[in-house]
Amino acid sequence: MGLVDIERLKGIIGAENVKDDKADLYVYGSDSSVHQAMPWVVVRPHTIEEVQNVMRYANPRLIPVIARGAGSGMSGQAVPIKGGIVMDFKKMNKILEINLEDTFVRVEPGVVDDDLNRALKPHNVFYPPAPASSRIATIGGEIANNASGVRSVKYGAVRDSVLGMRVVLANGDLIDVGAKTRVQATGYQLERLMVGSEGTLGIIVEATLKIVPIPKFRCLGMAKFNKLEDAGNSISEVMSSGINLSMLELMDNIAITAVNKAQNLGLPDVEAILLFEADGMAKEAVDIEIQKIIEICKKQNGFGIDLSYDAKERAKIYAGRKKLFPSLSRFKDYFTCASLADDMAVPYSKMAETAQKIHEIAKRNNVIMTAYGHCGSGCMHTKILMDPRKKSQWEDAKKAVFEIYSYVRSVGGTTSAEHGIGISKAPAFKREKSNSLNAMRAIKKALDPNNVLNPGKLMDAPDDWVTATKLRYTTQQGIF
Amino acid sequence: METNYLKQWENELNICIRCAYCFEGCPVFKELGWEIDGARGKLVVAYGLLTGELEPSEYIAEKLFQCTYCRDCVERCSADVSIPDIIGAARADLFDAGYSYDSHKDLLKQIEKSGNIFGKELKPPVFEGEKAVLLGCRLIERKEDSEKYLTILEKLGVKTKTLNETCCGMPFAVLGDKKGFKNQQDKFRETLPDKNEEFICACTTCVFFIRAKYPDLKAKYIIDEIVERLPEYKGKLKKLNIKVTYHDPCNVARGMDMVDEPRDILREIGAELVEMPTNGKQAECCGGGGGLLVSDDKLAEKLAEKRVEQAIETGAEILTTLCPTCEFNLKNAVEKLGGKIEVKNLLDILYESMM
Repeated sequence: MGLVDIERLKGIIGAENVKDDKADLYVYGSDSSVHQAMPWVVVRPHTIEEVQNVMRYANPRLIPVIARGAGSGMSGQAVPIKGGIVMDFKKMNKILEINLEDTFVRVEPGVVDDDLNRALKPHNVFYPPAPASSRIATIGGEIANNASGVRSVKYGAVRDSVLGMRVVLANGDLIDVGAKTRVQATGYQLERLMVGSEGTLGIIVEATLKIVPIPKFRCLGMAKFNKLEDAGNSISEVMSSGINLSMLELMDNIAITAVNKAQNLGLPDVEAILLFEADGMAKEAVDIEIQKIIEICKKQNGFGIDLSYDAKERAKIYAGRKKLFPSLSRFKDYFTCASLADDMAVPYSKMAETAQKIHEIAKRNNVIMTAYGHCGSGCMHTKILMDPRKKSQWEDAKKAVFEIYSYVRSVGGTTSAEHGIGISKAPAFKREKSNSLNAMRAIKKALDPNNVLNPGKLMDAPDDWVTATKLRYTTQQGIF
Repeated sequence: METNYLKQWENELNICIRCAYCFEGCPVFKELGWEIDGARGKLVVAYGLLTGELEPSEYIAEKLFQCTYCRDCVERCSADVSIPDIIGAARADLFDAGYSYDSHKDLLKQIEKSGNIFGKELKPPVFEGEKAVLLGCRLIERKEDSEKYLTILEKLGVKTKTLNETCCGMPFAVLGDKKGFKNQQDKFRETLPDKNEEFICACTTCVFFIRAKYPDLKAKYIIDEIVERLPEYKGKLKKLNIKVTYHDPCNVARGMDMVDEPRDILREIGAELVEMPTNGKQAECCGGGGGLLVSDDKLAEKLAEKRVEQAIETGAEILTTLCPTCEFNLKNAVEKLGGKIEVKNLLDILYESMM
């Protein structure tokens, strides 16, 4: 297939680690985004040397190489838009070192986030980023996309947990970046450059990650609001009050309606719900933070506050948020929940206004959108609920996406909070970063002169995400 | 390829957002490790067949039949997609297109001929009470055990009657033979009492399947009957000094949401219960379901060995379960691993406690 000598690759990595049946290529041609494009071959490395050897084979032949973890990205980061070799890292999944004394772990890129935390739990420490997909997300994928999660407000995004890494460059060279220490001022922070680079600058083959103690106490609360604006004001005030919280989540009325419709959880029919959490080693300290949040919510007309330290009770309070995504998928017959405009970050003071704006834009463009997200870190998520069989809906979605990101930029926000750019968000990203694209291209050229590492992404992605690849859906007119 | 069955699932295939959460516990994916081996991969292939972007092939058939129907993916799916139904539809389209294994055809012929999966004449033990009990192919074949299980019910006050039963048709449905299933369904109905009459079903697979595919029938799982009646028998149970680990059959834990009841019975008879790392609704499949035993017996065996190794690590002397197919597959694995643990149906243990 394409320019690849399959037999040669089998010689490099072992025949049992190469797949080129069309069915496999079709499967590896999509992720959790709307895009689809087939690779020429899929390989499964087990060692750094194998990664190096594949790169030494591919680079001089100008064969694209796309690193892939779980393939759970929502923007098409792992979709091989130019074909080439997909490198599946799921079997390079060893935890190499748990160093409790110096509080770090060393892992291979295919280690699954939850597996790492299961291994750390007996030591009362954890790796904190916790994206929603932690059950399947690999560390390599998390780093390449700078993932984060519900507790990022306290513990930061993946970049805040990465101390160092080993990276295979396009030419097959292995480099060590960062350090194992908590601080370092040793030249260019290349580990930071690799975070969020979406596999376009190098292939992460090992990561050194910070680990922190598991808090002994965790308290989760829920407050209801009759006005979305009041919930928004609460977010701003909580976040500017110096409260040490570990979670702040918003659900708007469409999200609440969807959960009630699909899951019958009996959430209150209000304009907004805020979920908040504080954690720590002393219950008294957690109580203080929680009380401060409650006071602010009440001042902003929040009511019906539920609260619990108990794990089972917390799970009940959080059930609505947890069931949100499957509920959205079942919002209306023949509608699907497309990952479009799925992720953005806006200033705290603009969270409520952004949610409102999203509803306005959706209505104007004949699609349904909801707003929810990790407000504590300024992260807003949406999904477009649409009938993917209708070509006109894709045009509607395109307009809605454009308008949303134009608004986000106008209020000082940014295109992606934690899902990355890939293909779908590239047009908005390019508009936002217009004056730094050339600098990014220069970096890319310096590290990957043959443009073999995940080409056609970020600043090099097509300007129209709808036509950038075949879409993974069929339309009434046929395959779109 | 005609996609008469898959096309009914187009909407469901669009609802799948390909999040990959279904990787997490998929036993086939864990063993083989390529994305096509997990539920998402299978759904993507099904979509390719539906749109015509993929042509059917021996390889695609192999991959779609490498599924145990354990429903772990259903538990983890972020969009509540009907994954086993879609895989079933893909299998049916493949079957109609001629992609069926000889081992599948042989099994189905045996059922057509004899009314059971063993292809031989099997008669249940004779009980002539009032309450009909369906034993299922695997238990009819184990006549002595069947007698014990019926005796348990008798001791609990149920006057049982056995049936001149035939297979419920599950293998036809699972292996994609929809026409064969329709025929078998008619035969099965004929052997049952009046459809308004509740009957007890001793086989986990049969009861789960009957509830799903014969919604008009009133099938009661034997464990439900036992749990209702056991409190009155409490004082008469002999305490057994045994250390057991319980393997949750997929159809029981995930299919029928029954996790605590079997454990409660074990505790009631004094067994020390130790858990495997995955249990309850997260329990790993033994590999015996979904027709894997006739599609890829080596893979089914590997999955069973993994489960048995987990059971051995608990230090239990007995690995107990409720599903006769799990029991069969796990027993084979224990034999292969040198018999370090005994596999026993939970009903056998209960029977010992009652005697």
